[in-house]
Amino acid sequence: MNVIVYLGAGLMLLFGVYAVMEHSILRAAIGLALSSASLSVLLYVLGAHLAALFELSVCSGLVTVIFIAGISLSHSPKMEIQKEYRDKERNRLLPLVLIGVGLLLVILALTLNLQTPELAQLTQDDDVRDVLWGNRQADIWGQIALILCGGVAVAVLFREERREKK
Amino acid sequence: MNLVIVLLIIGLLMIVAGCWCLMRTFHLLKMTIGIEVAMKAVTLFLVLAGRISGKIALSETFVITVMVAEVIVAVVGTGTAVGLFRKYGSMDVRNLKQLKG
Amino acid sequence: MTILSICAHGFIYGPILVVLIYNLFNHEFARKHFFWFAGTGAVWQILAAIGGFTALNQNGQTSYAFGAFWDIRLAGAAFFELNATRFLLLLIVGLVALISVLVAHQTVDFNRSSYTNLLMILVLGMNGMLLVTDLFSLYVFLEVTGLCCFIMIAMFRSRADLEGSFKYLILSELSGIFILTAIAFLMMKTGSLRYADLAGLGQRISAGSGQLEDLLVYAALILLISGFAIKTGVVPFHSWLPDAYQSADTAVSILLSGAVNKVAGVYGLMIVMQLFGDVAPVGPSLAAVGIISIIIGALLAVRQPQYKRVVAYSSVSQMGYILLALSTGTTLGLVAALAHILSHTAFKSTLFTNAAALQEQTGTLELKDLGGLENQMPVTAFTSIIAFLSTAGIPPTAGFWSKILIILALWQAGSPVLAGVALVAGILSSAYLIRLQRTVFFGQTRPELAKVREVRGSVLTAEVLLTVITLGLGLLYPYILLLLHAGGIL
Repeated sequence: MNVIVYLGAGLMLLFGVYAVMEHSILRAAIGLALSSASLSVLLYVLGAHLAALFELSVCSGLVTVIFIAGISLSHSPKMEIQKEYRDKERNRLLPLVLIGVGLLLVILALTLNLQTPELAQLTQDDDVRDVLWGNRQADIWGQIALILCGGVAVAVLFREERREKK
Repeated sequence: MNLVIVLLIIGLLMIVAGCWCLMRTFHLLKMTIGIEVAMKAVTLFLVLAGRISGKIALSETFVITVMVAEVIVAVVGTGTAVGLFRKYGSMDVRNLKQLKG
Repeated sequence: MTILSICAHGFIYGPILVVLIYNLFNHEFARKHFFWFAGTGAVWQILAAIGGFTALNQNGQTSYAFGAFWDIRLAGAAFFELNATRFLLLLIVGLVALISVLVAHQTVDFNRSSYTNLLMILVLGMNGMLLVTDLFSLYVFLEVTGLCCFIMIAMFRSRADLEGSFKYLILSELSGIFILTAIAFLMMKTGSLRYADLAGLGQRISAGSGQLEDLLVYAALILLISGFAIKTGVVPFHSWLPDAYQSADTAVSILLSGAVNKVAGVYGLMIVMQLFGDVAPVGPSLAAVGIISIIIGALLAVRQPQYKRVVAYSSVSQMGYILLALSTGTTLGLVAALAHILSHTAFKSTLFTNAAALQEQTGTLELKDLGGLENQMPVTAFTSIIAFLSTAGIPPTAGFWSKILIILALWQAGSPVLAGVALVAGILSSAYLIRLQRTVFFGQTRPELAKVREVRGSVLTAEVLLTVITLGLGLLYPYILLLLHAGGIL
């Protein structure tokens, strides 16, 4: 199991960095989706089965669709080249920074030698659905508000302009 | 160096990558992607917290709610970026110079 | 069903009902009569806050817990709770929403139905933030509040609107990431995020215990404070605030400065202080942020070229006072912070309403194009003077008493130096206020502004209403001080 966890986490980081560094925005969105897919494998192995499903369908699927919609709405001949953003050159240092920060954190963890918690055993006592609908109903009200918000956002922000302020 | 520390370090690196993206990129949609990259790490942290404290079901409900928020953020960010594109014909952050004091 | 439970449930159901009913009507009708729907929502909020507080007092309870349609006695359930502090903030939300609707009646001409929907969802989000008893639910409603604001700023779709909204979105989401990371770190230690389970965490952790979780709790506190400080817009996290306030339509600016940055930012810090105030670095770091933003905010306000930008930087400075009061961690400090929140709502909303009046009548807010409007717009000039007096803390206005309370709280908590700095910084705020009043209202009338008339209708009503509140509170405060004295707080 541990091998899959390390592999999933590593792939997630790798695809995340690719999404940041890639200068084609479409490939960056796909990198984000792959990062999300790796995370969902990771979540499944860690025992969050329902969350893994949601991660795969919502974050990896729906968010990518939204970004691609955004890309196609902002399509212009100039965008084909993408040279003006120079993301590859500007983010060239990112891997070095990440390796540096990572080494620093590893050294910190080794020198402090902290007492780290282990993962607790998975219990089958409480079901996600019971917790969500039984205990976390304040969050459900929040979700309702968020979805209303998203509806208005789509209606307002993506609309073609007819009248505008000055 | 056990599993928890490794996952924590990878998550923190992911957040660094996301924040780096916010600081360095010139592309508006790319900034929204940077936020999403950092959010991935946060999702991992939440599930890890659930596993450590033995309340995995609780943290799963958190993750599901966070995902809904994440999608709406992506919608609003993309919508604003597209609106700016329609005004300027480009997704360049360097165009945003209207507000100065 | 008692009055208290009707009022309590109304905070959640009211806004959603208004949204649902409003969207049943056809577009033209809804556009024409948006004022009545949004106004009903706001007035309902004010009535529910006053009625609920009275009922709570009559029952002799200090708090009232309820679930919106579920049983709150389930183990580990996240429920809603009302107490005196929250009633006051809910009242402020209702008041600011009402003022915003009054101003929007004249300034918003298209996007009216979206404005109404978003206003109601925003009110729901802020009510949720104030009512929950769980850190994660707080985050969810914080996100609702933030998203509504981004859309409200961006929906007018000029270049400046979209730019302000995008900057706000990026920084705000950064703060969301901070807060969520902090939540995850806290959960590693406690396994629960209810306020009841988090309280007293300071005693259970120690920096030298060699445990990873304890270290992470300290990291979480830093992240929580910076996250909410970004939302409050205090120095050094203030860069989004003037841009967002300047670009938004004035009806939206009123919401942002009057309610959103108090509920989303200051209330969050209030919760952090209440839960973790006993952990050593929390209070002093709030005080440091507060004192820096008082001074830097005032200095930056002096040299801004636009009316709303000056007022926005003044907001940064005033938020510093509120954080300073909170940092003491005493009851008097909390009372002083709440008093200053109330008076800040009144005078800052007045200034933004005046901005709406100037924008409507003259068509510009650039300071170099304004001048000598005293005779043309006497009511606006008068309300603006009262608001300035209140901002600078000069009697007999509400701002004077709340600043006195803050200084007393600092003195009582044993930091006379901070009290002295707060007192002296008041002079700095007079500097930018005098400049603003002199350029806009006093002096020679510019020839191109000779035909300007006083604003009429709902904006004028809002100006007068807010000025009455500022002066009324100023006259009422001695009585409140006596109450505090009787209660042994002062």
